[in-house]
Amino acid sequence: MKIVPLLLYIVSGVAYAVHFARRDPGVGRMATMALLVAAMAHTFVVGMQTMELHHIPFASLPTVVSTFVWLLALSYLYLEITTEERTMGVFILPIVVALQTLSVLSPGVENADPVLDSPWFWVHVASLLCAYASFALAGMLGLTYMLQFKEIKKKHLGYLYNRLPSLMTLDTMNSRAMTVGWVFLTIGVTVGVIWTAQARAVAPNDPNLRAMSLEDPKIFVAALTWVVYSFAIFARTRLGWTGRRAAWLAAVGFAIVLLNLLPIGYFVETSHTFQ
Amino acid sequence: MHVFLLGVSHQTAPIDVRERLDFSSRDVGAAVETLAARYSAGEAVVLSTCNRSEIYVASDDPERARRELIEFLGSYHQLPAEAFEAHVFVRADEEASRHLFRVAAGLDSLVVGEPQILGQVKDAFQVAAARQCAGPVLTRLFHTSFGVGKRVRSETALGEGAVSVGFAAVALARKIFGRLEGRGVLVVGAGEISTLTAQHLRAQGVGAITITSRTAAHAEALAAEVDGRAIPWTDMRGALAAADIVITATGSPRPILTRGDIEAVTGRRRSEPLFIIDIAVPRDVEAAVGEIEQVFLYNVDDLQAVVQENLSRRSSEIGRAEAIVAEEVERFSAWRRSRGAVPTVVALRQRFEQIRRAELQRLESKLGGLTPEARASVDEVTRLIVEKLLLAPTAQLKALPDEETQIAYTEAVNRLFELRDDTPVSPAGEEMDTERPNRTRS
Repeated sequence: MKIVPLLLYIVSGVAYAVHFARRDPGVGRMATMALLVAAMAHTFVVGMQTMELHHIPFASLPTVVSTFVWLLALSYLYLEITTEERTMGVFILPIVVALQTLSVLSPGVENADPVLDSPWFWVHVASLLCAYASFALAGMLGLTYMLQFKEIKKKHLGYLYNRLPSLMTLDTMNSRAMTVGWVFLTIGVTVGVIWTAQARAVAPNDPNLRAMSLEDPKIFVAALTWVVYSFAIFARTRLGWTGRRAAWLAAVGFAIVLLNLLPIGYFVETSHTFQ
Repeated sequence: MHVFLLGVSHQTAPIDVRERLDFSSRDVGAAVETLAARYSAGEAVVLSTCNRSEIYVASDDPERARRELIEFLGSYHQLPAEAFEAHVFVRADEEASRHLFRVAAGLDSLVVGEPQILGQVKDAFQVAAARQCAGPVLTRLFHTSFGVGKRVRSETALGEGAVSVGFAAVALARKIFGRLEGRGVLVVGAGEISTLTAQHLRAQGVGAITITSRTAAHAEALAAEVDGRAIPWTDMRGALAAADIVITATGSPRPILTRGDIEAVTGRRRSEPLFIIDIAVPRDVEAAVGEIEQVFLYNVDDLQAVVQENLSRRSSEIGRAEAIVAEEVERFSAWRRSRGAVPTVVALRQRFEQIRRAELQRLESKLGGLTPEARASVDEVTRLIVEKLLLAPTAQLKALPDEETQIAYTEAVNRLFELRDDTPVSPAGEEMDTERPNRTRS
């Protein structure tokens, strides 16, 4: 079932690559169409899983990755449609395909802990996933900015230079993605804090809940992420850190997000869990 | 009906010959009318640009057309034939269409892939069409050429990439700043290239253009041209602060902008990029300025390198463009061949119709007693028989693979059916509708 969106993402990815290479607008439109269809199929899959589990699928590695990919695809589509800039597709789709492949191939049993049924929890996880998806985009945009900047600075006006968007466009997209991400991150973290406080009031001796402090690696890294992006937005608006500096911050933030999503989630099984 | 082309271009004639044969300064429309009326051509189009003067006609006799066109050029431009005949080139049919398609695609231009020529070809055709001098053959020829121009533009990269220093600078500005609205430009030194670049930037919608020059009059002149503002030379450094794009092109033997000058400005600009185009030789801007992080400094060598790169990329697209031209030439030739069969097909159709009517007439006495519906049926049946008989031969005659076969077959049909040579056909300008059968009058 999860394979259908994956196949469609692959088709879309190939189309974006051809569009990038040949700058053929017809192929570009096809790529967007394919991605839209893939996103719809993925929405259907997520919907089915939600009905089955009675909550958004996020409590095992394969499902959280799949939900993340779904949000990433939607965020990218939003960015592409509002800026009318298709070139980034060739960089984003490989990530989408790689992650969705990971999701399809990895084993994992969905956690059935009743605490997961709390709506606070849904909002918490959904917000964070949205945030991470936006940050992933911002990170890619930052890297692309740095690439294009180098091409122009070094006067290598070649293959990439001709196809990548202008520095200003990349910077604007970066700013947008970062701001959206920060809003969702703030919501997600705030909700998490409120929910933990509430749950603790009800079950003060639950060891899992007690462990939810800044000592928990996942929570620590999330706080660090919030600080980094808050600084990035502050620096952009107050210090004039646009362009290359903003790009660098976006890339760093993205690296931290990846850290939180995969290695910590995969390897450090005792943190932030309900088992 | 053949397509015939006679002309001079930058490939065959030096400028002094070309300028004497140029039509642009005179009324091209009148020339086309004269041609179409006086000579064996019924159709004529004149294409006249600074690099070529070409006359396209549709004619039954290419040899005669050649003589007439040489005579026309001589009398129109008041020149003896010897003055230009050696520089003239002629093409007929397939080669003529290939030439026009290559021209429309930008393959015959001085700068391969240049965009103006297609517009010029379209204009030339419009002038002829407005004077009713473009008949079916040339109309089809030129419309196909517009299609070729469009195909080459969209399917190949022949027209892509800036191939002049001014355009290259503007393309770079767009890659840095995206849209140029609201961007400030400072022009230091109002020479030829800085003027061109400023004009291109203005055309792209850039914001305020400030110009300064040691000679105030030059600055004023350029300011008027590009809707900008001229300022005194002494105010130059102050004006740097508001500029996102700086163009320098003075004759100064030493740099006029140092690293210090630019650093004073970039502090206030925070991380905003600054694009400096230094066209001057010797350079106006210290090379060290390029090391400042947010400054993009391009000198004339750098821009020339971009232009060269784009030119060579265009050359590599030539093969694909030529392939498109070859495809369309073949398609046009097939159309011309099918058209060549038209008189015979028309004559055959007329002969069959003649026979049908004659026979119906002969049987008038016997048919007189029938009801009107019955008569109509008889008329209908005979008409359908004729149509069905003609269907296959018509299609076949129009689809013959080459000129010789077509001539042989139409000859054969003429002979077999005893179609006279002077069988009435429609006037040369009218496209005969041979696809649809004659409608019954009702």
